[in-house]
Amino acid sequence: MAPPRLTGALRSFSNVSKQDYTEDIYDLKSKRLKRQELLSKEGLTWQKITQFFGQHLEKGEQRIATEELKKILQAARQIVGTDFGQETVESAAVFLFRTFYGTDQVGHEETRAIKHMFGPFPCSAADVSCAAVGRLVSPMDETQVEAFVKAETTPRVPDRASFGRNIAFSFDSYALDYLENLPWGDEDGHPGHGFSLDF
Amino acid sequence: MASARVPLDEQHVTEPSGPMGRDRTLPALHPERMEDRCFVVYRPPPLESSAAQLEEFLEHAQFIADDLDWLLALPHDKFWCQVVFDESLQKCLDSYLRHAPRGLDPEALPASPAVADMQRRLHRSVFMTFLRMATHKESKENFITPAVFGEIIYNNFLFDIPKILDLCVLYGKGNSQLLHKMIENIFTQQPNYYGDLEEAVPTITQVLDTILEKCGLQLEGATASEPLKLEAHGRSTAMTMSQQDLVDLVLYLCDSCTTIYSLLDIFPAACHTFQSHGFLSRLASFYELAVPDFEKAIRKRNFDDKSLQEDMWRRISHSCRKMVEIAHLFVLHTCLQPILEGSENVQSCVEEFLQIMTAFLQEKRFLVDYDEQFSVVDDVSLLQQAFPHLDETRSSYLLQGVECAWESAGRKRLRPAPIAATQEVMERRGKE
Repeated sequence: MAPPRLTGALRSFSNVSKQDYTEDIYDLKSKRLKRQELLSKEGLTWQKITQFFGQHLEKGEQRIATEELKKILQAARQIVGTDFGQETVESAAVFLFRTFYGTDQVGHEETRAIKHMFGPFPCSAADVSCAAVGRLVSPMDETQVEAFVKAETTPRVPDRASFGRNIAFSFDSYALDYLENLPWGDEDGHPGHGFSLDF
Repeated sequence: MASARVPLDEQHVTEPSGPMGRDRTLPALHPERMEDRCFVVYRPPPLESSAAQLEEFLEHAQFIADDLDWLLALPHDKFWCQVVFDESLQKCLDSYLRHAPRGLDPEALPASPAVADMQRRLHRSVFMTFLRMATHKESKENFITPAVFGEIIYNNFLFDIPKILDLCVLYGKGNSQLLHKMIENIFTQQPNYYGDLEEAVPTITQVLDTILEKCGLQLEGATASEPLKLEAHGRSTAMTMSQQDLVDLVLYLCDSCTTIYSLLDIFPAACHTFQSHGFLSRLASFYELAVPDFEKAIRKRNFDDKSLQEDMWRRISHSCRKMVEIAHLFVLHTCLQPILEGSENVQSCVEEFLQIMTAFLQEKRFLVDYDEQFSVVDDVSLLQQAFPHLDETRSSYLLQGVECAWESAGRKRLRPAPIAATQEVMERRGKE
């Protein structure tokens, strides 16, 4: 439990701060999805992936590719749950594509990455999406897919000087500043009488 | 794009909007220009560090740190849109101020190096965010009209009194100069904060009264207008309350004293607001009543954990020191400094000093502890030099009172007795 604080009393009993007791707006799961959504907006998007395969595959292969893309989307829906909209599902599908395009199995790293992004997820959905991504990229040259993903992935933090970058900051904090240690053996502030020389 | 040399609050921007991509013009500060970033709230590092708890803390903290990095790298106009309109950002910052470990917390330091590193990264980013929020002029091109800035920060609760106090106690030790500039700017651009501080002081005083009440003690005058409750006689005291209650009270006192001290140290102008509520005499009376009781309880109670008992003692000692230092900050900033700086109101400052010190005469334990750290005789001699018309009868009475307080406390002073020292000063002045 948090230690009692003066500012806690001020927030509770005075009228000088915003009276708003609901703290959590977003939990970890919705934050993970939001991050994925932002990432996919910044660079690689589901639309770009579908366009890429539409442009680079033969007509006969395109029908199969469409099926595989659908499977990836379905797996993404299973992983994020039914409470989220198309945009979130597509961003999750982008994440699955990016996770699996260079591998042919759901290994430890891939499982950890998905869990970190979405929390607990059905393994079957990961297996299905991994296999679908594998079939999707198999007619293509590996380096071509690699180049496409890299080109579409932009840095997350804007390349701009951050405020405060050159401001000196100290991590010093207030520490206990006491004058004396506990006077063991004292009674009412007077010297202790643990022994006596008064024989 | 926003035009240069026009304050942000007067700028308009034209940007494409909607599926048709038609241009639209909006004020530069507009909720639709805010990005939906979804800041999460801060949670303190877990005390029991299971791997899962640590991972959860790190993930939470990583989100906040990344989001604050993103925020701090935003251009001026986008930063302010986010700050003003993103409720989740404000909740995130507020949660950090509330829950971030203070240096004084019993278990302040995270054990894991990864957690400690992340905590340090967050600590700096949160400070820089508040620093940017307290800056109305970032550069020649990027600025907000001062009066509008004052309204923005006040009406949107970007800063409020509890937040300012949290900032002082979290960052004041190592960043006092920056923090002083920030708080001074906030109060200058928005004087309503003085009114809020005025409103907050009675609650701060109430905290002291609550501690006394919990210890079965009552301040004369504090509740004299209220009849004594019938169950008051059966109330617990520092000796009889549960150990956990005693620990909580000591932690509360320790945090309160440090927080008040940090504010007054960083922003001395607040002393006048506190003093207008007679805070100092309440503090001295509180000290006189509560400190001996706490000390006795901590010494005599049977603690299972001796290290906890020692920690409680140090916290009471720390609180005493801070209360004395608070009193000295008042004396310094409301009396001594204006006198030394040749203020026009020297006489009223001298009168204020004598009144404060004379009021301390009733609180003998407090006076002795004060005098031990900040010699009253030195201050009196300083006044005598700066203000030759100082009433000698009153100053002698005051110094005799200090001497009596030492005698009644039965403690030995390390410095020469005030009377002797005053005589020395007087003699020196006579020779000069």
